[in-house]
Formats: sequence, C-alpha cells, structure tokens
Amino acid sequence: MSAENFRVIGRGVARVDGVELVTGRAKFAGDLRFPGMLYAAARRAGIPAGKIRGIDGSAALALPGVRAVLTAGDIPGPNIIGILPPFDQPLLAAGEVRYEGESLALVVAESREAAKRAAAAIRVDIDSWEPILDVDEALADGCRKIHPDGNITFSKRLVKGDVEKGFSEAEVVVENTYYTSFQEHAYLEPETVVAVPGGDGRVTVYASCQSPFHIRGHIAANLDLPASRVKVIQAYTGGSFGGKDDVAAEIGCLAAVAALRVQAAVMIVHDRGESIFGSNLRHAARIHYRTGSRKDGTILAREARIYLDGGAYASESPFVTMKALIHAGGPYHVPNVRVECTAVYTNKTYCGAFRGFGVPQVTFASESQIDELAAELNMDPLELRRKNALRAGEANATGQVFDRSVGLVQTIDRVAERRDQLPPAAAEGSSANGGRWLYGRGCACLLQGISNGAEGIDVAGASVQASQDGSVLVGVGLTDMGQGSRTVFAQIAAEVLGVTMDRVTVRQVDTDSVHDSGPTVASRSTTVGGMAVYKAAREVRSSLVKMASLMLKCDEERVLLQDNFAVLAPRADNPEARIPLQEVATAAYWTGFPLMNLAFSRAPDARFDHETHQGKIYIAYNFGTHLMDVRIDRLTGAVEVLRHLAAHDLGKAINPLGVEGQVEGGALMGFGMAHLERIEHEGGCIQNANFADYAVPSIKDRLPTETIIVEDPNPTGPYGAKGVGEPPVAGTAAAFANAVAAATGIRFTRLPIRREDLLAALQGRDRGPAEETG
Amino acid sequence: MLLEFELNGRQTRVEAEPTQRTLDLLRDVLGLTGTKEGCGRGECGACTILLDGKPVNSCLLYAAKLQGRRVTTIEGLAAADSAADSASGRGAEGNPPALHPLQEAFLSEGAVQCGFCTPGMILSAKSLLDQNPDPDVREIEEALSGNLCRCTGYGKIVKAVQKAAAAAQAAAAQAAAAQTAELGPGRRAASEKSGNGAAVRSTKAKSAGNAKSDRRQRGASR
Repeated sequence: MSAENFRVIGRGVARVDGVELVTGRAKFAGDLRFPGMLYAAARRAGIPAGKIRGIDGSAALALPGVRAVLTAGDIPGPNIIGILPPFDQPLLAAGEVRYEGESLALVVAESREAAKRAAAAIRVDIDSWEPILDVDEALADGCRKIHPDGNITFSKRLVKGDVEKGFSEAEVVVENTYYTSFQEHAYLEPETVVAVPGGDGRVTVYASCQSPFHIRGHIAANLDLPASRVKVIQAYTGGSFGGKDDVAAEIGCLAAVAALRVQAAVMIVHDRGESIFGSNLRHAARIHYRTGSRKDGTILAREARIYLDGGAYASESPFVTMKALIHAGGPYHVPNVRVECTAVYTNKTYCGAFRGFGVPQVTFASESQIDELAAELNMDPLELRRKNALRAGEANATGQVFDRSVGLVQTIDRVAERRDQLPPAAAEGSSANGGRWLYGRGCACLLQGISNGAEGIDVAGASVQASQDGSVLVGVGLTDMGQGSRTVFAQIAAEVLGVTMDRVTVRQVDTDSVHDSGPTVASRSTTVGGMAVYKAAREVRSSLVKMASLMLKCDEERVLLQDNFAVLAPRADNPEARIPLQEVATAAYWTGFPLMNLAFSRAPDARFDHETHQGKIYIAYNFGTHLMDVRIDRLTGAVEVLRHLAAHDLGKAINPLGVEGQVEGGALMGFGMAHLERIEHEGGCIQNANFADYAVPSIKDRLPTETIIVEDPNPTGPYGAKGVGEPPVAGTAAAFANAVAAATGIRFTRLPIRREDLLAALQGRDRGPAEETG
Repeated sequence: MLLEFELNGRQTRVEAEPTQRTLDLLRDVLGLTGTKEGCGRGECGACTILLDGKPVNSCLLYAAKLQGRRVTTIEGLAAADSAADSASGRGAEGNPPALHPLQEAFLSEGAVQCGFCTPGMILSAKSLLDQNPDPDVREIEEALSGNLCRCTGYGKIVKAVQKAAAAAQAAAAQAAAAQTAELGPGRRAASEKSGNGAAVRSTKAKSAGNAKSDRRQRGASR
C-alpha cells in the first residue's frame, strides 16, 4: 500500500467534526436534553478513611424536587467496578471509606441544584480512621489493610541479563532517587453521562468517555442485565487523556441504576472539584535508579526500583506498573536491566490512566540519569544518547527485537541538525544581563509502546458502508476525545475508496454497531483502529472496483478509484474513461454487490514471561528526542522556554496537522507536570481541587514547540503509521528537568520544579522534605 | 422576572429567576448549549459570552444583569456577521452558516481539538479583534489568558487569531478599495471611516461588570 501516490494520506487536513465544534452545535453529553430529565448527585465521604456506621437519606428525600435517594443496597448487581478482576471499587460504599471522594449515596432530583442540596442533607455516620497517606506507611509491617489482600496493589519485576555482572564491569556508576507528583487531567469538560431508559427493556447511556465497551460491561453487570440490553453512545467528549475511563463507568452505572429506578432520563455532571478529587490522577512516583557504563559511555547495566502511589483503588495501577517497568530501561541498547515496580494503596484519590501511563515518570528519572552519567563522563548528553540509542535489530529491555521502524537515531540526528541551523540562544550554563539570566539546554530521548501490549489482546472493529450516492459512512469502536482520530479514520477510508474527504462521515461510537474494540488507550487508535478501517474499506472497494470494471469493460487491475470517480488507468486524464463513483455505487447496489463491511483488526499477540517481562510485548514503539533551551531569572525563579524541538518517529504522519496538535498539546501537558502542576494533599484530602489553585498551563505558559516528524514505517500500522498521542508528555518533562539542571548546575530530583523551588534552590535554601511518596 | 435583551442580533424576552446564572438561562431555557460550563467559578473561560462586545464569564453573571444589554454567544457568531454581510448573500436560511473568519481560522490552523474550550476561546478572540484589528502576540495572550485549553498547547490558537486578523484586514481593505472605486475619489475619506465600523462600535461598549481577570495574577502566587 505504500507504493501509491496518496491523495489524502499525509495531507494536513482540518478536523472532520470541526464545523460543529467551532459553531457550538456539537452536542456534548451535558448538552443533551430529554423530556422529564432528572439530575443526580452523589454524597461524598469528605474524609479519607473510616468505617461507615449509617447513612440516613430521609431528610434529603423530604426536600423539594427530590425523587429518590439510593444507597449501596439499591444497586441490583455486585456494586463494584474496576479494570482487572477482582474489581475493588464500589459504586456506592457501604462498609468502608477509602478516600475523600468515596460516594456513599446518590440523590435523584429535578434540577442539579436540588440534587446537590439534597446530597449535602444526607446524614452519614462514619467512624473516622487515621488515613494511610504514603507508600512507606502503607508497606510497613502491621499497617491497617486498605483492601483485604493488603496494601500492595500490584508488583512486578523485569529482568534482562545479569545486572550484578553488568555493574561489576562498569567503570562509572551514577545513582539517584527521583520523585514525581500527582497530576490531574484537567480536561475542560467535566465528566458527564445521561442514562435514558428505553421502552424496550434496554437502557441507553450517552457518555463523555474514552472506552464505551468497558462502560457497557460494568453497567450491565451492576444492573444485572445482559450486556445486549445496554447501549452506550459516546457523546462529543471534551478531552479525556486517560481520565474518563473508570469514572465514566462509575457515573454511567449510577445514572443507569437511577434511570431504571425512577423510569426517567438521569444526567450526572461532575463539578470541577469532583472532577479533580473524585476521579483518577496520574500516579505519584518514587524511583531509585542506578546506571553503569564504561568510560567510553557504553551503558552496561541499569537498575530501577519504582514505587507508585496508586491511592484508594486499583484502577489501572496494574497496567501502569507494567508499563513503567517495561519502559524504565529507556530507549537504549542495555544488555543488563533489572526493574522492580510496585503500586501501593493509600487513602487518597485513586490513580489510573493518564496520557503516558507511567512512562513520563520513569522517563524523567531515566533521562536525568543519562545526563548525570554524561556529566560524570564529561560527554555531550546528546552524543551519549546517540551512542547507546536502540537501533533496528537490537534487543530492547524486554528482549524484543524490531527489524524495522526503530527511528530513534533519526530523531536524534534531526534534532541535532535543526539545533545547528538555529542561532545559539546562549552558551549552556552561561549567564547574561549581569548574571540575572541563567541559560541551559536539556535533551531527552524516550520510547513509548504502541498498542495494549502486555495489557491483553488488542483488537478493534470498524464498519465501512458506501451509499448509492457514493458517500461513505465509517464506524469505529475507538473514541475521538479531541485527538482527531475520526479525521484519521476518514482519511484512511477516503484514500482507499477514492473519495474526497467531504464524502466521508465518521459516526460517533455506538456499542450496538461495531465490535468491542477495547479501550481507546495506549496511542493505539491510528495504528489498530486505522487498520480495521483500512480492512473494511478494502472490502467495499473491491465491490466498487468489480462493478466499475464491468462498466468500463476492463480488467479490475486497471480500475482506479480517485476523486469520486472510477477511472480507467492509465488514462486518468481522459474524461471519457471515468465514471462518477455515485453511478458505480448505484449500479453495484442494483447488481447486489455488498457495499458494507464489518472488519476486525487484531494486533499480533504479546508473548512474554510474566516473571521477567522478557518477550514480545508491543506491536511497535514511538521513539522521540526532545531538546529544550531555557532561561531562568535568578532573581525570581521564573523560567522562559526559548526553544523546544520535539522529534518523533511515528512511522507515517497520516494527518501532519493532527500530529502537530498532539505533539504541541502533549508537550504543554508534560511541561505542566514538570513545572506547574502539583496536587496538594493535607490529611489525605486534596486542597487545590479547582483551577485557581491547581495551575493548568495558560496561554502565557505555552511552549515554542517545533514538531519534527520522522517516518520510519511501521509494518503493523495502516500506511506505516504508529501512534503519537502519549509520547510528547514524557519527552518534554524530561528535557525540561535536564535544561533546568544545565542552567542552574543543580540537579532537581522532584517534579514539578516550580518557580518557588527554583528560587529557593538558587538562594541556597534547603528544599522541603518529601511528601507524596517519600 | 421578565428580561428583555438583544441576543445574537434579535430582541429577546424571557422569564428568568432572579438568581439564575446567565449560563443556565442560555443553556437550559434558551437552548443555546454552545456556551459550556467548565468550572462554574470563572476560572476556565469555557462559558465566555460577549456582553456589549466584552467577554464575560456567564457562570458568574446573574441573568438579571442582562436587562437591556447586547449578548453574543457562539451560536450568534456566524449568523451575526453574515447578517451584516447580507448583501453578499452569505448565511442564507437552511444552508450551513457562513463561518466567521475566526471560526474558519480555528479550523484550518488546527486550533480545535476536543472543542470544549473553543466557543469561549473564539468569543474572547472576537472581542479582541473587534477592538484591536491587528494585535501582537502579547495582546493575543493577554486577551485569551482567561480561557484555558488542555488539548492544543495554545500555539495553533495564537496562529488562528493572527490568521483571522490578517484575513479580516485584507477583506476590509478590499471592501474599502471596491467601495472607493465605486464611489469615486470624492468620497474616499468617508468610506475609509465606515470600513472600520466594528472597532468604533466596540470601543464604545460599556464595561461588562465581571470583566475577566488575568489568570497570570494568581499564577504569580502559585
């Protein structure tokens, strides 16, 4: 498929759903209205740990406009959700409170305000317990168990080669401990669902969500209904970044239970506070690292011990544990690697999926190590990375070998080339303006596995349907949360079927209409979902080509579909040798050729040893190199990013405009993690659950990101593509930390490195003691 | 209470609760759900509307304050401008609306991802361009600093505003040139004045009451 001269693939195209978004016509879940619709709100625990003695909803029920108050006993099914069995998170808690956002009861009322008022009026009797607030406390002997099996959520090891031997041969060893903070997704649209009872024994749930099939399964289980009675439709979703998975299942179940109970549509909309303390965060991490090399810079061994604070429930912690583990070795050829990663329960807001999925944390630590090693070796940091960079044919940390699409060296070289074209900002570590400005340059390399990989089977379904007018309807089981996958799917269908983009419609995900495609995660939409669209479109194409060959009286091989015509090759410019696709499609319909196909894409299975994590895990990796120049004001600690180069090998850029959007947006999210964003806890409760106190980057914080696209084609993706949604977060955060270290001469081991941290360090003051995982 | 105000170019009479938020009046009573609620505390800008041409957070504005004022929501943007351009026949009923240059630019520059911040962002940008047709980057940053976006990283939003500004200026220059050619040299001065009508109109606009504060101020205390 790569030999073709593409007409749509590789072109920067505007979003296919853009007009409804810029005109305000797009209907997000909160914009939906149904006759007699009611609103529900949860009564939250408000304290991080305790034994529930009683919940009394009578006062709430007596308030005007209140229709029902539900507690745990009102859930028909098992009252539990989660990602991996045995699930551990109740919809409405009855026994214990494990975090401040625990929902104890749900009020259904005629307005949002009435529901909120009534929720506050519910009387709860809780014996408060001393919360377990950090990893060491949770793991200490005799600590109270947050869940019956103890406080370890998940713990795994990766072993490659012999690290003892590797370190014994090393001539230089660097060692350090790094910390990262919790991070909030902060999508602009708070979590929202509407459940509508059908007259046919079914229930339909419209959700702002990421994984509609996951939600469907949980709703069916908790309603004690067959899954076929539940339909989940993804509404326009105002950002997700990993965040609207567990929580969408939670409120989707609650709304569905309430809707069937009161036989009316029920909407649940989180307020911003709930969106922060009542749904998952990025794991805080403590990472101890050791890296050993020869004097020439050849890395011989790496060792890491990672603790993730996962909060009250498992959520995606098991998979984040594995992903952190697998990526901790870095994008390098290292013969000896040992990593241990443990996720731990604490009485704080639970942690789960967040763009990057454990990789940003370990990349920050790993890339800090590489810079520290470069300093010890007195080597150029980018050269040290290039020397050890993973190349095609070499085994990565899991022993997996790719013989193609390992474009790391190309990203390093493209960054170096671009750097050399640009005028120097200032010499690294130099100061100017009478010593007020400190200049520094940091770089970082990264890899990010594409596809579910170790998390299980990776399949996606898509339907492609041509109408008699030649227009095309595409359905895919993976969601567009803003990242632009609908546009990419439209491009693939348009390319295969030879139609222009305006003739293609990609509908919203509806669990009735396509195969369960798993969660929309792991940068897999373009790669795995795109492949399903490609396959379905190829089948429809074969009907159109067959019909056209009959009409043009030629062999099928000579028929081209392009620009809404079937064309007799090679006379593409001859208007007499082409037929409008509309006529071909109409003829195909009346001839009885199938114009719809439901295809199924299945990535090669992961095969690996679960004790050592050696084996084939991901179908591809995105590789990247970032370079950042910063200027720090010695008097105020203010940081200005002067330059940011972000090179990623993404196989093939199907929509370069969309790629830039993913890189720029992911970069600013990584910058937020590295410099601005920090969840502040006190006694287990989040103190800054709002946008005034939690510093989401504003337009004034934006980066001068320059996206560099490297295309080393991936044989497992459509047109050679592989995903790019997550990787920019890790690269930016790590490059920032290294740039700050270069500018100040101080190695900061804790993210975020905020302005006040910089100022304090520059003034030689001791920085505060460890908090979140220390 | 009965409210009367101009909404997207039309006189509107609507019954409202005295303590109702403008955001809820627009979304729940008037069916204009293009205005979004992101935080309910005036911190994210998703609910931005224009009140007499100035951006305000409709989540912080009592509906009662709309009495006698001029309100523009995202739904009125394409329509309002195509009404002004009625001579050119844009925005006819039943057809997709002729997009405002800002809407066009947000699309073509890739300044939209999830789209939830987009209505508020575009309205803040419109207010800026109405007052300052040729803003520099700092002025764009200042004007949009009350509108959060979590998807795009903002770079493409800045480019979109610059592109829309350039397009509007080019269109205005072209219109002025055409008019001048039609009218003859004697009336050139008068037509140049009217070509800048939008800017004149919005500088007269009254202060909005809850004019949005610069998020950077609280940023300094982070």
